[in-house]
Amino acid sequence: MLARVADNLFWMSRYIERSEHIARYLRVNYFSSLDAPNEISQSRQFVLRSLLFMVGHPVKDDSHVEETEVLYNICLNPKKTYSIINCVKLARENANSSRDLLSTELYEAINKFYHFVLNYSTEYLVTKGLYDFATHIIEFTAILKAKIRSTLLYDEVYAIIKLGLNMERATQVIRIINSKYNDIQIIELKKEEGVLVAPTLEWDTLLRCVESYDMMRRFTKSSPNSINTLDFLILNHQCPKSVINSLLNVSQHVQQLSDDNKPKKGSTAFLVNKLYAEYQYKYIEEIEVDFRTFIETILEKLVEISKKMEEEFFYH
Amino acid sequence: MNKNTPLFATYSCNTKLLDEVFDSKGSIREVYKTIFDLYKEHSIVDFETLNDYAKTSFFNQGITFQVYGNNETKEKIFPFDLFPRIIDHKEWEHIEQGVLQRSKALNLFLEDLYHDQNIIKEGIVPKSLIESSANYLKEMKGFNPPGGIYNHISGTDLIKHADGNYYVLEDNIRCPSGVSYVICNRTALKRALFGVFDKYKIHTVNDYSQNLLEILETVKPKGVDKPNCVVLTPGVFNSAYYEHSYLAKGMGVELVEGRDLFVEDNFVYMKTINGPKKVDVIYRRIDDAFIDPEVFNPDSVLGVPGLFKAYKAGNVCLANAPGTGVADDKAIYTYMPAIIKYYLNEEPILKNVHTYHCSRKEDLDYVLNNVHNLVIKPVDEAGGYGIHIGNKLSKKEIEEVKAIILKTPRKYIAQPIMSLSVHSTYIEAEKSFEPRHVDLRTFTLLGKDKSYVLKSGLTRVALKRGNLVVNSSQGGGSKDTWVLKK
Repeated sequence: MLARVADNLFWMSRYIERSEHIARYLRVNYFSSLDAPNEISQSRQFVLRSLLFMVGHPVKDDSHVEETEVLYNICLNPKKTYSIINCVKLARENANSSRDLLSTELYEAINKFYHFVLNYSTEYLVTKGLYDFATHIIEFTAILKAKIRSTLLYDEVYAIIKLGLNMERATQVIRIINSKYNDIQIIELKKEEGVLVAPTLEWDTLLRCVESYDMMRRFTKSSPNSINTLDFLILNHQCPKSVINSLLNVSQHVQQLSDDNKPKKGSTAFLVNKLYAEYQYKYIEEIEVDFRTFIETILEKLVEISKKMEEEFFYH
Repeated sequence: MNKNTPLFATYSCNTKLLDEVFDSKGSIREVYKTIFDLYKEHSIVDFETLNDYAKTSFFNQGITFQVYGNNETKEKIFPFDLFPRIIDHKEWEHIEQGVLQRSKALNLFLEDLYHDQNIIKEGIVPKSLIESSANYLKEMKGFNPPGGIYNHISGTDLIKHADGNYYVLEDNIRCPSGVSYVICNRTALKRALFGVFDKYKIHTVNDYSQNLLEILETVKPKGVDKPNCVVLTPGVFNSAYYEHSYLAKGMGVELVEGRDLFVEDNFVYMKTINGPKKVDVIYRRIDDAFIDPEVFNPDSVLGVPGLFKAYKAGNVCLANAPGTGVADDKAIYTYMPAIIKYYLNEEPILKNVHTYHCSRKEDLDYVLNNVHNLVIKPVDEAGGYGIHIGNKLSKKEIEEVKAIILKTPRKYIAQPIMSLSVHSTYIEAEKSFEPRHVDLRTFTLLGKDKSYVLKSGLTRVALKRGNLVVNSSQGGGSKDTWVLKK
């Protein structure tokens, strides 16, 4: 496979995955807040700020944020690098540059996705269509992933696409955890100020944002709290979206691209396996005790792996 | 004509033109009866729904082009018409033999032009015509391309005249495009009108890519067992990019850009994730001038430095060969009947439109006196650009055209205004079918000891009433083209 095309495929899948996580975070947070049991979680400003935090544009002061503007920016504003429309455009642009390698079924599904987003009315979105829009994004991305799994040859093209999906999934799940963790910190602060609130709802919301609420309940048979939620989303091998599972997938797909059974020191496979091994033997209390450092470190390491991949596979 | 059919209620037959669907009495022709009966069942609303469905099919397949506005870029589809053109097997046999004959003759002509030039020595084609052609590449002189093939892919433009005969309008043997539309038109029509397909026995169009790959493999360089073929595209912003990616996918080969290739020791390699991989056959969709900045246009960023040297060393095959443009020049077209006779010792199967060559004194005089009855064409332009249709020009415009011709007579040819046949075409603004002029581009492949003609073609439609220029760049659309089995 051409190095340039591998780069396109890697980013195509990252943008598909990214659009899904943004849409899901938006839908779950916005709609679960509508009947939230406490004033803070129900506050529009709280939710909108959380959305902006998740997409990497946190509001740093106390200024008022306009709801329609935030929703438009996150969903349909092509000028915002973090918007869903931008992710979908870039996914399709990357697919266009490598469309000869994609199945017709997958390419048509990407196109349908693109035209759906492109033609979505802004007015409808901010007045009536938020749930519909976010749900469609989630469903379209599910279709795309099914097409990837069921119509592509399981060769290096597939491996690159899956690498992109899993790298992005690990990154986005960490970003989502970080955003909700940040929300919980805000609630904790309010608690110190004497406001009576329980942050349990935010742990619920966090699990739902990663589509893991039902399975986590089945697995732990207890109410979500910081330890069991973080453990499930970061270290649990049975949770399909856990960070450790994404790392395992990345490791397996990198191996598919490499001829060496024993990865060379400093290679992508070496870095991924090292990170995976490290988390295999971590326990959640270790992470929870200094959660900020964990977030910073793992995001840095994922960026390092991504850079190494570009160097090793994309720039021949 | 059946005026009870809402979609054809305002259809008017012009007896001076050949209507492929209705005869001179306004009755439906035999071959179209079944499909016409189907349309009779449709209300205008039904048809609009089908039309929208077909359009969506093009959007979903990603067969679009970009329109750049002030603030935003819009994607548009090339207009597609739901009424297919049907060609019966007898008529097709004639066309197929004719276009194959032309392709073979053109290949022999190119070989001769770049070697002994016997056809010039014998006075059949004037030397001045070749010497003055911007598309004659002296770099190709004496070179033998792999398999002896120059024009691996030919696109031949035909029209059906009022006399019922097919005439060749021009040969395209540089980078003829449009074949992907033939296949996508079929896909879109099948999706919209699936019920009609079992009523006709139609040749498939899906075998084109496989035949193209087989043809490319026959012209592999010496010493190569299983050649690595690629399609070379200028990139994603090229208007034919969809076609390039379609063909690469159809053949299961890589679609490369110039930046993906490099030349080392006169061998061509592509940059893969596992390092360099040798390339043996390149179906290039980049014009001669841009393929290698070391030999041709030094400013080209689309090509590959050293590619031509690797080609001359026999280590890679380029399809079509560089320098084929000299033979599809519209001035050479005039000599095609003689070229066919000279190399194949056969009578031309397809007719040529009589052509006046402005570089000849007597022809020039005739053209200048009869511009109002002629179509004036520049010899080296494509896409319908620079064409003047005499009977559409004002007196002032005629004088302007005369001045342009007189400035560079070699650049122009003239032909009688041919009455292209018309075909029933759905006009969205009118919400009904109307007759519109059509032409036909066929696709012929030539390899070493192998040839193939796609049993269909691109029927292009001039969507504006009375317009004779069918090119998509001039607002043309297209139709699915059915060739019936015996």
